[in-house]
Amino acid sequence: MLFIRECKKVLFSLTFWLYFIAVLAMFFTQFYPDCRYAVTAPVPGQENYGMTAKEIPETLMPAAAESLVSEYLSGSFKAYPLGFYKEVRLNAKKKEKMAEIITEISGISKEQLDSFTDFQEGGYFMTEDGSFSYMEPTLPEIHIPDSLTYEHFRELMREADELIGGGSKYADESIVNNFSLVPKTYEDALEEYEEFVNDDKFTIAYARLYCDYLGIVIAILPVFAAVSISGLDKKSRMEQLFYARKVSSARLVFTRYAALIMTMSLPIMITAGIAQSKVIGLYSGADLDQFAIFQYAAIWLLPSLMTASAVGMLVTEGCSGLLAIFIQGAWWFASTFASAAGLTGSFGKLTLVLRHNSLSERGLFHYETFIFNRAFFAGISILAVALTALIYAKKRRGRCHVFQIRIPDSWHKSEA
Amino acid sequence: MFFRSAFRILGINLKHNFLPHLAVSLVIALLTPVVFGISALDPILSAQPLEMLLPLTGTVVLTPVFLPEQDENILALMRSKRTDYLAVCAVRVAYSIVYLGIIISGFVGFMKLRECQVTPQHLIGSLATALFLGSLGFLAAGISRNAAVGYMVSFIFYIANFSLKEKLGKLFLFSMSVGSFEEKYYLLAASVLMIAAAFLYLKITWRRA
Repeated sequence: MLFIRECKKVLFSLTFWLYFIAVLAMFFTQFYPDCRYAVTAPVPGQENYGMTAKEIPETLMPAAAESLVSEYLSGSFKAYPLGFYKEVRLNAKKKEKMAEIITEISGISKEQLDSFTDFQEGGYFMTEDGSFSYMEPTLPEIHIPDSLTYEHFRELMREADELIGGGSKYADESIVNNFSLVPKTYEDALEEYEEFVNDDKFTIAYARLYCDYLGIVIAILPVFAAVSISGLDKKSRMEQLFYARKVSSARLVFTRYAALIMTMSLPIMITAGIAQSKVIGLYSGADLDQFAIFQYAAIWLLPSLMTASAVGMLVTEGCSGLLAIFIQGAWWFASTFASAAGLTGSFGKLTLVLRHNSLSERGLFHYETFIFNRAFFAGISILAVALTALIYAKKRRGRCHVFQIRIPDSWHKSEA
Repeated sequence: MFFRSAFRILGINLKHNFLPHLAVSLVIALLTPVVFGISALDPILSAQPLEMLLPLTGTVVLTPVFLPEQDENILALMRSKRTDYLAVCAVRVAYSIVYLGIIISGFVGFMKLRECQVTPQHLIGSLATALFLGSLGFLAAGISRNAAVGYMVSFIFYIANFSLKEKLGKLFLFSMSVGSFEEKYYLLAASVLMIAAAFLYLKITWRRA
């Protein structure tokens, strides 16, 4: 049977076993250590319950305004547009616009800003005896106008972020975390724990964490297996033999795709089983969702696996394996590191690699966006495979070389 | 005679095999300043683009050294030729390394122009990282006779560096970003060993396969 034969092909390939080992390694080095201890209820009277980001305009507005003025005077703005540090210097036009924003939020005019010579950056500095001490920044006096509403202030911060090029401290997704962190109270900690017990039924929180870690490798590694399997016919000189067979192109391509998905789901099923039993063991006797990790693995990880495999098959069939790896690699890189600045609930409707690296913060995980995102990726994967089948059918009839990267014949003539 | 045939091999390979990989590596080099800021960086921040993205050019150019012979027809043709296949691969490795040197030096020079505090250590460190990733892919592709395996092994090791970090010991790729250069000597030594191991494996298996 064709499906079994394709499954065997994948199972006997080195790329599959490398993928298998990498998934297991990710599971045991990243997720498993987080299951060592059970999460316990907070006790009243504790010295510290940690910090939490709460949107408090009275805290956020002066802190953000001070930071923006400080960065303007230093001449550069820190940003993490793709998860990596970037120091952005504005051109004259953008600088002028930024000065206008600063004037609106702080009452400091552009002339005052540009003529301020006592500027001293704040932060922690090493003293002569080697210890660290905090130094307040030296800035012009900031006076936030009473007439400035919080909503308008946030709008101006969004504009500032756009001028910087995105990924700055003033972006919507990070402004609260950067400028409005407050200590958690006992009530906050208790509410968070109750959410974990009652809403997440313990296992849902672990399911999100499990998928967060494994999703990183599953969004990229299947492309290598797909490229390898797609190029196998050519390598073993079976291409022409397959072309001559009676089986339809659609059936052949979709069967190959199904075999790839089925076999590459194996390490997911194995690790999900281990994770589920580990969590059940941690909270024995509690009211748990018994299948949460399997359900989340299917909804969260399967579309990632489908997408990486589909890109691998489509681009290899239409052009080349190298290009498939490069395209998926670039997409993965951009998606993974764009969300690196905020690891909880960090995804939009079209994000390939979803992140939620926490057992708490359930409120930041937008379930509707999540479902839309996964359905979208599953859908485009099927479309990509259908397109692969179309290209395969054309190649079979000898009509499709339009996508092939070829060195022009004229380049070869000099060799003759 | 030796140099004449070496130059002939070089010319043919540059024209027929190297161009797509050169194009992809150039795209990576051009994307690096987009991903990272490269103006007026201190020595630690300067190390980030040079260790975390630019060295992927090593994977792109060194891994596919055996790629042409993955096509059974070309393999059969190569076996029928008098030209030593190892010499052909040695020429491919040599020009790939020279190219890596050029592209990384160019990038470091560009950073210098942008007032980054880069030193010759940054250049050597970045080259060592690129060579390590490339030779890892080269060895894996040589043993498996499958370039996809080579790319995969190299990429898995690259991803592992983001999560395992210093746990990788002397083979930690991003050491300059945390202020240590010692690891680069080990990466260079490991690269030489892996390239030698791949050639040795090829020498043993080439006629037998």
